[in-house]
Amino acid sequence: MRGVAELFGTAAVAAVIGGLAAVERKGAFQLMLSRPIVLAPLLGWALGDPRGGLVLGVPLELIFLGGVNLGGSLPDNETLLAAALTSAVVPAGIAAGTGVDAPLAAFGLALFYPLAIAGRRLERATEKHNAELSDAALSRAAHGDARAARLNLRGLLLPFAVTAAICFTCAAFSPLLGGVRSAFPARLSTGLTGAWHAVWALAAASAIRGIRDARAPILAGLGFAATIGAAALLRALP
Amino acid sequence: MTEAASAARTGRRVSALGLLRVLWRSLFLQAAWNPRGMQNVGFAFAIEPALRELYPEPAARARASERHLEFFNCHPYLAAAIVGGAVRLEEDVANGAADARRVSAFKSALGPPFAALGDGFFWLALRPAAALLAAVLEPYLGLWSVVVFIAVYDGIHLAVRAWLFFAGYSRGEGIVAAVSHVHLPQLIGFLKGWAALLAGAIAGRSVVVAGLPHRAWHAVLIGGLIVAMAALLPRIGLTAAVYTALALGLALGGGFL
Repeated sequence: MRGVAELFGTAAVAAVIGGLAAVERKGAFQLMLSRPIVLAPLLGWALGDPRGGLVLGVPLELIFLGGVNLGGSLPDNETLLAAALTSAVVPAGIAAGTGVDAPLAAFGLALFYPLAIAGRRLERATEKHNAELSDAALSRAAHGDARAARLNLRGLLLPFAVTAAICFTCAAFSPLLGGVRSAFPARLSTGLTGAWHAVWALAAASAIRGIRDARAPILAGLGFAATIGAAALLRALP
Repeated sequence: MTEAASAARTGRRVSALGLLRVLWRSLFLQAAWNPRGMQNVGFAFAIEPALRELYPEPAARARASERHLEFFNCHPYLAAAIVGGAVRLEEDVANGAADARRVSAFKSALGPPFAALGDGFFWLALRPAAALLAAVLEPYLGLWSVVVFIAVYDGIHLAVRAWLFFAGYSRGEGIVAAVSHVHLPQLIGFLKGWAALLAGAIAGRSVVVAGLPHRAWHAVLIGGLIVAMAALLPRIGLTAAVYTALALGLALGGGFL
């Protein structure tokens, strides 16, 4: 019974933070607290493992570095993915006793990545709902309602509610994910560690692409060479 | 500013508290973002405290609110200048020193160019640069790297947003000259250059980490994967790239190939 109450508490915390992040992403403030590099460690801290959140947040941030909401174009929803992934993986790592290690992170990403695409649909649905709010505000103002624009804040409800529900569900099922992680055979763990290295490689490539500058490949090459050179130098030192 | 408008500065004015309320509400500019009016509801919501002070009669206030429910689109941060400028122009309108159409013309003239400036500087330069700086520092600073990201990004963003709002309010249509003096395009080029160097450093670190301990072959594979992904990403898209990377890494790492 105590375990169920604890799990409910964890899921509720994940729901509130995930929901607020969804609102912060576009509708309010835009302080970038909903970016994976902030959200994942913050949510990880609330769930008991901030470092585990950071393990997930940094590569996710780099993967989605070039995703920009310009006008009507919608990028994949990095916030929903980061929130759901952290809600599921951090408590799973605690339950499994492994923390957020490379195999669990790679497995979680493979499992939850479709939420980044689902998040785009959520955003389209929110926009449709907001268009109705806009029509209602115009109609009210035309009828002399001076407070018609207060409908604005209602636009925050749908992204909050849906993201909170998804995060709650992910956290609620985290013990199951923890159990799966504990059952990984050694060879699968090694393979998933390789998969996480590959995710970092993709993150670096995506970051270079995300800069959207003609000089980026050359400058990135310089940064790459300097890092490899420094590593070789450090290794050569006695 | 016209003579009549100058004289009107002594008429109805928005209080300092009213201005702060508008600034606060401008943080919710995109709460009801929609494809038809874009930030129209958010703009009307933001300027409402100013309209309340300028138009005590509800019918006049509703008319003013209705004209701010027209189509409006801008970068959410740069829009602060337009919100501030619109408050200033509304004061002139309320004092009979300007026509209401001037407010609409001001908003529609500045929205698109400010949107382009804001997108280029904040979304495509400052945010990537701040995130990459934090990512590079993460192995050394741990969780403090998150603080670095927030301090760099929001330190600049919040200061710019507040400055734009008050500069917009004090200068009205003169805000264009003030923004053009900031030389944003040069700053964008500088930040993108640094961001690219940092992205390269992260790529280098990924290769070094994959090659440890004594796994030079892994390092070569990861290096190859970075180059291949950078070339293929625009063609295959992010979703396919994520699953391709996971599958390749799993197959090679687990010895399934």
